[in-house]
Amino acid sequence: MNKIIENLILCIAIITVFAGLPSLAFAQNVPPRPEAPIRPASRIRSATHLFKTSEKFVKVDGSVNVSFGCISEGRVKVNGWNRNEVRVFVEGGNPFSFKVLQKSIKTGEPVWIQVIGVNENNKFRSSGECITGGEIEIDVPRNATVNIKGREITTIIDSIKKAVVETIGGDIALRKVADGVIASAGRGDITVEESGGAIMLDSTTGNILVFDVGPSDIGDTFKATTQSGTITLQTLKHRQIDIKSISGSVAFSSEILTGASYRLGTSKGSIRLTLPADSSSRISAIYGYGSFSSEIPFKIETENISEGPIKSVFGTIGKGGDAILKLTSSNGSISIKKQ
Amino acid sequence: MKQECLEIGIIQAFLDLELSHIQTDMVSGHIAVCDACALMLADADDESAIVFPALEREFNTLVPTQRLWNKISDSIATERESRTFWHKAWAYAAIAFANPSMAAAAGLLIVSGMFAAFWVNFTDAPTAVPIDLSAKATQSPARADIQSLETEFVETPVTKIPGQPTVKIERDAYRPEMRRAASSPMIINASAPAAYLPGEESYVKTISSLNKTAEDQKEGVLRPSERIAFERDMAIVNDTIAKMKTEVKRNPRNESAKQILYSSYQNKIDLLNSVAQKEDLVASLN
Repeated sequence: MNKIIENLILCIAIITVFAGLPSLAFAQNVPPRPEAPIRPASRIRSATHLFKTSEKFVKVDGSVNVSFGCISEGRVKVNGWNRNEVRVFVEGGNPFSFKVLQKSIKTGEPVWIQVIGVNENNKFRSSGECITGGEIEIDVPRNATVNIKGREITTIIDSIKKAVVETIGGDIALRKVADGVIASAGRGDITVEESGGAIMLDSTTGNILVFDVGPSDIGDTFKATTQSGTITLQTLKHRQIDIKSISGSVAFSSEILTGASYRLGTSKGSIRLTLPADSSSRISAIYGYGSFSSEIPFKIETENISEGPIKSVFGTIGKGGDAILKLTSSNGSISIKKQ
Repeated sequence: MKQECLEIGIIQAFLDLELSHIQTDMVSGHIAVCDACALMLADADDESAIVFPALEREFNTLVPTQRLWNKISDSIATERESRTFWHKAWAYAAIAFANPSMAAAAGLLIVSGMFAAFWVNFTDAPTAVPIDLSAKATQSPARADIQSLETEFVETPVTKIPGQPTVKIERDAYRPEMRRAASSPMIINASAPAAYLPGEESYVKTISSLNKTAEDQKEGVLRPSERIAFERDMAIVNDTIAKMKTEVKRNPRNESAKQILYSSYQNKIDLLNSVAQKEDLVASLN
């Protein structure tokens, strides 16, 4: 009898608990569903400008600075030519206008202009819009500096003096930029070839490929950083080189210049150097769980390969000299091969 | 042999009836055989007869004699020595809890203690602790919530078939490691200030401030694929930092480990900065 009463009480208790569960569920504070962002009306209307073709010219100073504050999408081609004019051609996009920000004191020609999109549907033809287009061609004087900020754009720049490109997505390719490159691609690859000056390249998830670059002035530096991409460098003539990747590998193939300082580092990747057989340099290699190998005769000065997460080796190749290679890979191997 | 004469004090005590029975008998016996003491007793009795009526008023007031005070003090001391600790504690508690406010406070404290004990036991249930076997594998000393993986064999209550061996099932039991005492040297006290290398503290502070910004911004700025890459890279950097810190702690003269540690800190700062830079870029394009 007692057993029956106990079971009965237990059942009542269980039913009570389960009956209370829905009320607990309703009592939870459900976060309100976020509302969809409301796009400005001007942005919505600007979509009606798609598939229009526009072309404009402006006479400028030879060393003009051309800024594109916002290019939302498209394939952008910047080309240097021998005229003191800036020409912008947009195919399948919205209209745009030139805004002169500064003129030359000597010539009176614009030395700083901005190219901005125009919203024609707006009653006041409001400017300051992003430029959108399927194909955007820009011709600038060879001595011009071009600044581009964009969202999802593929950028190709050729034969100008200096380029500053910053994009969220899309590849950046630069060729024959004479006096300096600053390129930052969020998700895209960066390619630089036959260029000079101080070079600073930065990509989040993209790869970086550089070949045939060098300084235009003494002291110009080369810096390339990527978080998870591979960095490949070939024929660099800068004397101060700083390469860094977190989860990507670094491949370097170039001659070692006297007095140069090369710092190549990666957290989880390998470092591969391909050097001329007669290269001379002091080498400091710090590596973690990988290994260090050299096809070029390597004279070890000090070596620490004791147990632990870090091993290091210091020594020289060739005659030593005053060039120094600092190679650091926390979790990868380091190898030096003959060219 | 004639005994020595009694002192006047004893004779006075005899007259005052302050001696014990044995002492009274002895004094009585001695006086019976000692004329000198009998004379002294007579003199004392005469003096008392003169003095007592004169001082009758003062003697009638209840003033205890010195001997009485001594007896009282001796009794108190003896009783105090014979009392145990628990008697003393009980006496103290009885006096203390005679005060109602003290009793109420004690009751509140007991109830709070019981609730706290119940709460601690409830939150320490093994199912509430996340399992992190990777941390166990790396033997990171900084992790306090490392889980232990145990394999044990249990006999199941299945029906036994004659001639067949007893069925045993392998069961993995995940349970938290025994908590060590705070004084154990293996436990890292998070609240204690960490010993920084030269220049390390500034890195740590910078990272700490950037972390807050990045945590707020990364969900809005980074796409899922970028987010994955970011988290992976961050995990790589954090892993490198942890390894190098362990190595530097083990061998403070390992300059290579220090170099990679600083480099990893810088990588982490760059990584966190990239989120802020992207946020700035997105904002400038809107």
